Amino acid sequence: MSVAPRAATSAADLGLSDRRRSRGLRAGIRDNVTPYLLLLPTIAVLVGVLAWPLYWLGRISFEHFGLEELIAHKGTWTGLDNYREILGNREFWHIVLRTVVFTVVNVGLTMLFSTLIALLLVRMGRFMRVALLVGLVWVWATPVVVAITIWQWMVDFQFGVFNWAITKLHIANLVHYNWFDNSLTGFAVITAVVVWGAIPFAAITIYAGLSQVPQELVEAAEVDGARPWQVFRRVTFPLVKPIFVIITSLSIIWDFQVFNQVWIMLENRPSPDYYLLSVFAFVSSFRVSQYGLGAAISVVMVLLMLSVSFVYVRQMIQISEVDQ
Amino acid sequence: MNLRYVVAAALAVAVAAGAPTAGARTDGADAAKATTLTVWLMTDAQGPDWAAVVSAANRAFEAAHPDANVKVEIQTWGDHLTKLDAALAGGRAPDVIELGNTETTKYMAAGALANITSSKARFPNNKTWLKALTGSCTYQARLFCVPYYAGARAVIYRKDHYGAVGMRKAPTTLDQFVSYGKKVMARHKGDSNYSALYFPGKYWYAGMAFVYDYGGAIARFKKGKWVGTLNSPQAIAGLTKLKATVRALSRANRSGTEANQWTVFSQGHVGADIANGWEWGLISDPKIGDPALAPVLGAFPMPSHKKGKFMPTFLGGSDLAIPASSSNRALAVDWIRAYTATPMMRQLTSAAGVIPNTTSLVGINASKPTLAPFARAATSSWFVPTAPNWVNVENAQVLQNMLAEIFTGRRTIKSAADRASAQITQILNSR
Amino acid sequence: MTAIALRMRRSFDLKNRRNRQRLIANTIGLFILVFMIFPVYWMVATAFKPPRDILRFDPKWIPSPFTLDNFDDAVHRPYFWDNVKNSVIIVGVVVVLSLVVGFLAALAIARFSFYGRRAFIVVIIGVQMIPATALIIPLYILLARANQVDRLTGVIITYLTFVLPFTVWTLRGFIMGIPRDLEEAAMVDGCTRFGAFMRILLPLIAPGLVATSVFAFVLAWNEFIFAYVLLSSQEHQTLTVWLASFTTSRGTAYGPLMAAATLTSLPVVIFFALVQRKVAFGLTAGAVRG
Repeated sequence: MSVAPRAATSAADLGLSDRRRSRGLRAGIRDNVTPYLLLLPTIAVLVGVLAWPLYWLGRISFEHFGLEELIAHKGTWTGLDNYREILGNREFWHIVLRTVVFTVVNVGLTMLFSTLIALLLVRMGRFMRVALLVGLVWVWATPVVVAITIWQWMVDFQFGVFNWAITKLHIANLVHYNWFDNSLTGFAVITAVVVWGAIPFAAITIYAGLSQVPQELVEAAEVDGARPWQVFRRVTFPLVKPIFVIITSLSIIWDFQVFNQVWIMLENRPSPDYYLLSVFAFVSSFRVSQYGLGAAISVVMVLLMLSVSFVYVRQMIQISEVDQ
Repeated sequence: MNLRYVVAAALAVAVAAGAPTAGARTDGADAAKATTLTVWLMTDAQGPDWAAVVSAANRAFEAAHPDANVKVEIQTWGDHLTKLDAALAGGRAPDVIELGNTETTKYMAAGALANITSSKARFPNNKTWLKALTGSCTYQARLFCVPYYAGARAVIYRKDHYGAVGMRKAPTTLDQFVSYGKKVMARHKGDSNYSALYFPGKYWYAGMAFVYDYGGAIARFKKGKWVGTLNSPQAIAGLTKLKATVRALSRANRSGTEANQWTVFSQGHVGADIANGWEWGLISDPKIGDPALAPVLGAFPMPSHKKGKFMPTFLGGSDLAIPASSSNRALAVDWIRAYTATPMMRQLTSAAGVIPNTTSLVGINASKPTLAPFARAATSSWFVPTAPNWVNVENAQVLQNMLAEIFTGRRTIKSAADRASAQITQILNSR
Repeated sequence: MTAIALRMRRSFDLKNRRNRQRLIANTIGLFILVFMIFPVYWMVATAFKPPRDILRFDPKWIPSPFTLDNFDDAVHRPYFWDNVKNSVIIVGVVVVLSLVVGFLAALAIARFSFYGRRAFIVVIIGVQMIPATALIIPLYILLARANQVDRLTGVIITYLTFVLPFTVWTLRGFIMGIPRDLEEAAMVDGCTRFGAFMRILLPLIAPGLVATSVFAFVLAWNEFIFAYVLLSSQEHQTLTVWLASFTTSRGTAYGPLMAAATLTSLPVVIFFALVQRKVAFGLTAGAVRG
């Protein structure tokens, strides 16, 4: 956590601090205090609400904390037992691998489709653009439980509209096909639901970022003879890179924690080969009533995400400093 | 900019939001009352007929206790245990809670429920409570909850389809039923969606009935340990019979569940299915189902492979418990007494078509042709092993997976049963 | 051809290309709309179908017969209007507060350099990695101690905690896309720093504000488990919890549920339709050079 801004990126900072100095010491102190004041409400909320729960979670992850302990409000210290039980369990590592693969696939598909849709939105006529934006928001606004029910119906063994359509189009015979029999096809459906639900936010936000690209720059490049792909790479993308990076990082964090789509799709009773890390944590806490174990799994999840994104996060912080 | 006004407005709204809810805690008229009794009932109690019974009980209770008022909060089946766990942890558990009869053991074993053995004699009809429900309320010979209502399954069938192959009255043995069923299947050869007995693969409530009919069990408590017994010879015999029956008579999803089975029935592709009593009404409901089926529907308890007996049916249902942390135990007991009083039970049974918690009222259902077969079926029942960890077996889907493997042929019966038994033994005995 | 003539020719070609692009984009956009919106269409269509037509072996694409009974049933279910009021209050406060507080914090980390900035960024990112379900019990215990259980304020503060890191992180990205020169130009002209933020920066990141406000709206409107656990009285619950009451041990009333879901999804759509013009607010020509 270094203090001084790097020399190569501080040109703007230096320029600003010159002005600061010229406005006097008082202004200097005010500016030194301002960022902290701006952050105060956010920190107050986050610390006020999360500090104790995180401490509690951390503490019980080192304890044997079952239903009896929950009622007595007190657990028995068992040290690293919960962690040993998790990390030594082969099933756990299968679940980790499954979650990682799931995340990569979902984030990849989401970013791909969202970017394409955002690029399309820029080039559309006004009426179509508003229609598509409103349509996307409607998808976003549909309550998750209801959306999952609809998707269940679409691929249902007997009533599935999707199965019916595919069969009628002679692409494959999906009459009486149970998508959830085999976890691979089951996850295909779950991925479809997740990506479908994630596209609106990503597409709209990337589109918002794209719309900030000054049109003169794009037109100038095109008039200079650049092809669309080159325009994207050289002019557009560098300007929307921060948004892109943010959406990707958020997607990774969210898709790693996917819970509802698996849980509700499988009628609150997923079989173990459908477990993702968040499902495993929930089952350990609330179904098997081993809250300490569930807490340990959650802690491991956070550490996994932090360590995997460590390099990435550093890069993101550095990007911001270069841009400043 | 108008930022200041926006912030001020938000804060004003926030204060306004806090105010009414703060006020609600000490509502005008109730501020004078000393206690509020909080009762958690499930969404089923919201239906107009059922809610009338609840209101009647509340009125009777409040008349007897002028200084108390009842607050009923409706819970959803999917997440009510999560909410209960949070409430227990936060010290805000309700005074009375409805629990499914397969959910009670875990909480009894953990000491979450109040021991009401000493009050047992004061509950209405306590001497004639349904044995299966009472079993789900008893732990280490002590009583921890009160039976509420039950549901049993029987065979709902189409008199026209089965009548056409000569079945005029309920079959007396399983083999007789299956042979009729095969004839019905032959008559409907042209319909690729047709099932003489619609049986989705993961319907373990109906599947395990076969195991118990042949004398087997899911697990038994031997020498201080639980042992999974699905691979015993009797259980295997039951599973073999089950597989043959389903293979011959059902085209339902071999790895699907029984949700929505009445919808399939009402669309005309089903000759019979194993169902709860309330499904009869749904099949012929004018809005949801097909009212044209109403005159041809009938029901009978699933026959055993032994002549003259019924195959044991799973007795589902709910109990009413008092969390140990409740500070209004006496009032809670009185409320439950008011709610399970005989006239309330009678009203509930007629209104909601459930099986009452006492055998003394079985007669109500006996007089209704759409409920009588289910009440009769309930006289021969089975229940899940009353182990504190039983709910983990359900969560791991052990039985469902075993049945799906058997029906799809992925595993032989013996191998699937061996695997399931080993899993059950391990889960039930873990700390 | 001279360079100028070439440029003019290219400019002309560009306009033709633009129009063609627009046509192609519109067509592809229509296909995408149809695919994406199909499940939503199915939900709305189901809301108008009589219960018998909802699950069929041969699907009914268009509801006929058409019925409004499901809407009637849904709206007359107990506590509907109370729950609407609660949802509206919660959403209103969460959206406004998250935007205000989040914008201020995003300003801090995007425009200032100070001790602890990196740590704060790590905290913002790290907090979002905590699985929400792990927080159900400890958050309940905390709020119970603060007497915020069964209160809208308890739910509001919970949702703020979930939404803020996201809002700060996203608005930071948008702020970083606006060059400092604009604010500095304004300050040279006599504007205060804060004035520059409010008058120059804030309008320019309007698209980001819209995106984050819709996100906060959707989260506060549709969130279930925390609303269900933290709010016990029926009259304090939200619409999403009310939706769950359509399911009993006898199955789900699908027609009324879809009608209810259609109704609950409309406010978000209407909100967005009102603010969508702000989504694409590009830099005005000449602002950079001026």
